[in-house]
Amino acid sequence: MYYFDHCATTPLHKVVLKVMQKTENDHFGNPSSIHSWGHKSRSIIEAARSQMADSIGCSPYEIVFTGGGTESNNLVLYNMIYSSKNHVITSAIEHPAILKVLNRLKQFGVETTILKVDKSGIVNPDELHNAIQQNTGLISIMYANNETGVIQPLEDLSHIAQKYGIPFHSDGVQTLGKIPVNVNDTGVDMMSFSAHKFYGPKGVGALFIKGNTSLKSLILGGGQERNLRAGTENVSGIVGMGKASELAKSELKETQAHLNKLEQIFVSDLRQNIKNIKFNSTSNGLPGVVSVSIPSMESGKLLIGLNRRGMAVSSGSACSSGTVKPSPVLKALGLSNDLNLKTLRISFGKGNSEEDTRELVKAIVEIVTRKSTYG
Amino acid sequence: MGKRIIVGMSGGVDSSVAALLLKQKGFDVECVFMKNWDDKSEFCFAEQDYRDALRVCDTLDLPLHTVNFSEEYKSLVFSYFLEEEKLGRTPNPDILCNQEIKFKLFLEYALSLGADHIATGHYAKIERYNGHYSLLKGIDKEKDQSYFLYLLNQYALSHSLFPLGDYTKSYIREMASEANLATSNKKDSTGICFIGERNFPEFLRQFISEKPGDILTSNGEIIGQHQGLMFYTIGQRKGIGIGGGFGKKEKPWYVAEKDLKSNQLIIVQGHDHHLLYSRKLFAGKLHWIGETPPENGFNCMAKIRYRQIDQSCQLTLEKDNSCIVSFEKNQFAITPGQSIVFFSGEECLGGGIIEKKL
Repeated sequence: MYYFDHCATTPLHKVVLKVMQKTENDHFGNPSSIHSWGHKSRSIIEAARSQMADSIGCSPYEIVFTGGGTESNNLVLYNMIYSSKNHVITSAIEHPAILKVLNRLKQFGVETTILKVDKSGIVNPDELHNAIQQNTGLISIMYANNETGVIQPLEDLSHIAQKYGIPFHSDGVQTLGKIPVNVNDTGVDMMSFSAHKFYGPKGVGALFIKGNTSLKSLILGGGQERNLRAGTENVSGIVGMGKASELAKSELKETQAHLNKLEQIFVSDLRQNIKNIKFNSTSNGLPGVVSVSIPSMESGKLLIGLNRRGMAVSSGSACSSGTVKPSPVLKALGLSNDLNLKTLRISFGKGNSEEDTRELVKAIVEIVTRKSTYG
Repeated sequence: MGKRIIVGMSGGVDSSVAALLLKQKGFDVECVFMKNWDDKSEFCFAEQDYRDALRVCDTLDLPLHTVNFSEEYKSLVFSYFLEEEKLGRTPNPDILCNQEIKFKLFLEYALSLGADHIATGHYAKIERYNGHYSLLKGIDKEKDQSYFLYLLNQYALSHSLFPLGDYTKSYIREMASEANLATSNKKDSTGICFIGERNFPEFLRQFISEKPGDILTSNGEIIGQHQGLMFYTIGQRKGIGIGGGFGKKEKPWYVAEKDLKSNQLIIVQGHDHHLLYSRKLFAGKLHWIGETPPENGFNCMAKIRYRQIDQSCQLTLEKDNSCIVSFEKNQFAITPGQSIVFFSGEECLGGGIIEKKL
């Protein structure tokens, strides 16, 4: 399969599809109904909640299902409106589902400090420490970056937050299924997840909310999800997410080894064939996520060339595709605007083979050396 | 069609397996989740318990209903608990809950739904002989819960089943995991049900205001301050706030008495201090499961707290449903408000509330 854009989204796992189909066929009851149809739906939601909890090492009651990673982030951040401590610390490499929300929250009096990152994309714990104010009510730093795969030292960062009693949230959307995730080890109070990033369905996500952290809901209505997410549950989506999270954990070692192998082949082959390329990702980031700047060709053109060969990769983050603006994340790493626009993100997945990877390198080399997008 | 049994589901492993066992025996089983506590805080354990009960019933293919007794719990059990705490006593609300809620209101509710019996996941046994019902200890001596059931009467026993009484806890867990029940690995609940894993003093502070006073030694010497007598229990060692300090070979301090009138906490040094012991106590509110009290001077065994090894004693009956209990051996930390429960071999005879040590 020539789809190399798994950070954008992943195909549905076959097993996940099966359980979702069964759910849609057999269990249409409203989970809030108190007859057996309703009980059945409620029960399979709770089984999914346990699966999700097991996969990230928390208790089932610490999981709230949402409409996706973006909603999970919004739920956390909008709570700052009710907080007497209305200063938030975040980082420059966050997803727009964090940065745009904080920008909106300005009009509600919420202030934000955006921490810079160093050249390797890491938030410096000392800088976090220095940014803390009397009225800091939330720290939100992503676990792993969607454009470069860089993993933040969450333990060190959350440790500082704990010292000051400040709730710590992390956008963990890119992590599950690629690295071991244990919310307790990371020391966070909240973490966002999205099912379609780990071979689950779109339109469903989860938020880990540690024990006694209290939140107000973003969406009001019936009392679903401990009053934190009103609206009749997306039963098949939740069941799919539960199954996908279970598989993400059980297949993790295998997946990691596979992705590392593909990344290794890609990086060394590309290096041998194209001069002066610059890798923005490192081998200790997310496995199978490569960010590479190729000075001799703009990524937009390269993408067209690859698409004509039936190959999918991304320039910068998928969310900024279609626009030619430089990626703010790459900018934060210190990349020049010129190189920024010549950067590709390749994110491998379970369905890619070593052969597929070599074909991808061949295609990129062909396009770059012949300066022609036609195959 | 077999007898119709309604199982009180708590969302724990014990009641889950109780339902499983009854289903296997061919009874017509339905389950009811009882909500006895309305927690206004966002962090509610009852919600998770309900979720677990639902999953178990789904696995066993049994219907689950819910019933809310939280108003009744408040007026019948919780108010008593607070009154006792204010008096500086150490009540056991779970025992009262069994009498007033589980084996009265819940029983009535289940019978009104057409049940022949109710069942719970208690570790105890019921035996019928000549139309008379006896309460017996469960086979698993570590888990035996007859202590909590001494307030049951003949009517309640005649309509109740304890399917776990003949099994050990470890066997119950095995059964749960074999049947793939969602609760098979769930931790046992500890402490008073409505408090759960919360901090006890913090919980109490929501309902009773603090009343600081002096901490005295038995010689009358003031050596510290307490935040309110309700935060202490007779025989308590940890958390008094008086310590020997590092490196000192002083004996640890224990709460010996609570003087409500002067609001003083009296503490003594060493587990073997004589003020911590007595061989006699006075108990009231006596209840006899067999309905007739034993004769005066009756010899039997007793527990003055849950999990205590049975102690040999003799009863001297007094007026107003009370008695003096004389033990063969000295008893540590006789605690007013706690229940004393009487046994004859395996049989739980009844019990009462400890009023004071003598």
